Amino acid sequence: MEPVLVAQALNALYGIASLAILALGLAVVLGLLGVLNLAHGELVMIGAYCAYVVQAQGWPYLYAVPLALVVCGVLGYVVERWLVRPLYQRPFDTLVVTWGLSLLLRKCAEAMFGLGYKSLTEPIGGTVEVLGATYPRYRLMLIVVSVLVLGALVLWYGRSRTGTRIKAMAGNPELARALGIPVRRYASATFVVGTCLAGLAGVMIAPLAPVQPFMGLDHILMSFFVLVVGGLGSVGGLLTGSAVIGGSNSIVSALSDSTGGYFCVLLLAIVFLWLRPRGIHARS
Amino acid sequence: MTQVPFVPARRRILSAAAGTAVLGTGWVGSALAQAKEFKVGFFIALSGPASLFGPTQRACADLAAEKINKAGGIMGRQVKLIFADAGGPPAETAKSAVRLMLEDKVDLFIGSHDSATREANIATIKGKTPYIYSPVYEGGECSPNVFCLGETPPQQAQPAIEFLAKEKKLKTFHLIGDDYVWPRKVNEQVKKFVAEYGGKVVGEEYVPFGAPNKFEEAVTRIKAAKPDAVIATLVGADNVNFNRTFAGFGLDKTIARLSLLLEENTLMGVGAENSANLYSCMGYFANNPSDAAKAFKAEYMAKYGEKAPQLATIGADCYSALNLAKALFDKAGAADAKKLAAASEGLVFATASGRVTMRGRQVDKDMYLAQCKGTEFEVIKTLKAIKSGTACRA
Repeated sequence: MEPVLVAQALNALYGIASLAILALGLAVVLGLLGVLNLAHGELVMIGAYCAYVVQAQGWPYLYAVPLALVVCGVLGYVVERWLVRPLYQRPFDTLVVTWGLSLLLRKCAEAMFGLGYKSLTEPIGGTVEVLGATYPRYRLMLIVVSVLVLGALVLWYGRSRTGTRIKAMAGNPELARALGIPVRRYASATFVVGTCLAGLAGVMIAPLAPVQPFMGLDHILMSFFVLVVGGLGSVGGLLTGSAVIGGSNSIVSALSDSTGGYFCVLLLAIVFLWLRPRGIHARS
Repeated sequence: MTQVPFVPARRRILSAAAGTAVLGTGWVGSALAQAKEFKVGFFIALSGPASLFGPTQRACADLAAEKINKAGGIMGRQVKLIFADAGGPPAETAKSAVRLMLEDKVDLFIGSHDSATREANIATIKGKTPYIYSPVYEGGECSPNVFCLGETPPQQAQPAIEFLAKEKKLKTFHLIGDDYVWPRKVNEQVKKFVAEYGGKVVGEEYVPFGAPNKFEEAVTRIKAAKPDAVIATLVGADNVNFNRTFAGFGLDKTIARLSLLLEENTLMGVGAENSANLYSCMGYFANNPSDAAKAFKAEYMAKYGEKAPQLATIGADCYSALNLAKALFDKAGAADAKKLAAASEGLVFATASGRVTMRGRQVDKDMYLAQCKGTEFEVIKTLKAIKSGTACRA
């Protein structure tokens, strides 16, 4: 195969994997709790700033993972307990609350780090040969890690008792509570998992993106499109959504230009909202 | 200094409607003459991604206003800056312009924002109030009562392309830019310059302005096309993102890059390990070698201290714009469009990087071609008194 085709195929793969990992936390929270967390992008941003702090201190890059998990986890717990919990079953109110939270978090980041772009060094630099195409190592690793994280989550959710209980909670909270499942605690834990995943995604993409308070806005939009296309409540939906949105963006961008790619994404989102508002993998 | 207060949308629409009704009558002009302070409606980015420049813009403008007021103000009147946000959509900024004209009755507008916003503002102000547009731009702006300070393509792109083509012997160029008026108009001229120096443009592409762009596909395409150099008219985060991706794919070693809006903040985002073979040509860098620039920097640091916002061309242009305002109005002696235009011809005034001359309501200035060394600009060439290439009638 032509090296350029290999590279573009890897680009598409990278586009899909990075999108899936960015949308994962949003999908967990929206799919299982019915809360559209508009501050998801800002949690990604916070994860990225955690990576920046770690690198600025001269610590090994992997230290960013526990730091981001702790920061985003604590934040997620507090937000769920005092902002989101009183508003379950009130989708519009949670939308407004999380939107307000996103503004607040952006301003906090601005107050702490300023508006300037932070530059991180790729922890694994350089390029590597893949079937004749030279491709950046870090991006390849990001594809692999995304697959591992998604796979681990699928296995755990599908096989563990906790996964089954969360499914019961999402399906029918009252019945679940009647069966003695601590619904509140599970809801809290699910929200925290969602925010932690956002933080993790932030750590992963931080060396590739301009780290700045507004960076979350870019990611929330594409992630939202993923859920529109893929549908809620299943990993299959997330993967299909990422493949359709990330893949078409990447392929059309490669064949024509970024304007074409972006146009295609918007068109798909509109078509799905219009003709199939519950997405490809709609949960009954 | 005062900030335009938040005005509910309903009132804003009303005032915009009232503005359209009143603008034609000349009422604004007579009201202006009676004001005591010299009010400047100052457009800078207070919100949105461009607000990165806001603190520097404001600090530089405040510094200039303080100096001017100590020296007696403009036409004997104390300068009062009224900052308004130009970080949102152009139509929103134009609405603020109407309010500044009708409610605050400003004597002058200064704008440090993108070209799309400039076009919306000029269409709204219609020459009723003088307008100084300060940042780097595409040239050719000759609307009545508008004065431009910024670097134009003949000042910025031409010498840089001449350097790449003649001294670096580069032949083929790929153009990439954000999709709006500045990159498109600049590239029209870039293509002319490239042809003039015997080079060839082998690719041209644009990415949607303000969209969540990624650059893997474009960089892969550029890699396959193997141009000698890339000329980027990307701004802000897109510029950072592109340059990081470009170096991430290892292209920085073989392909030169000329970025037409690369200043200290953007370079900081690009990062030291991604800035090999990267060039910028500007009228001002924070480590500018001219004596005037050093003096300006010393004053700036003395006023704001260690926590001073990063100096850059966007920001320094605000300082220069107020200096132009003082020189221009003091010489004309009145806010009359014809008198101002006449006074502007051949007007010499101080900017952040030295004394410049205004001709055809544009500025002839010294330019600095710099190569990036890590996150610093190293000036490799100083080009003296380069003409703007635009000559508006007085």
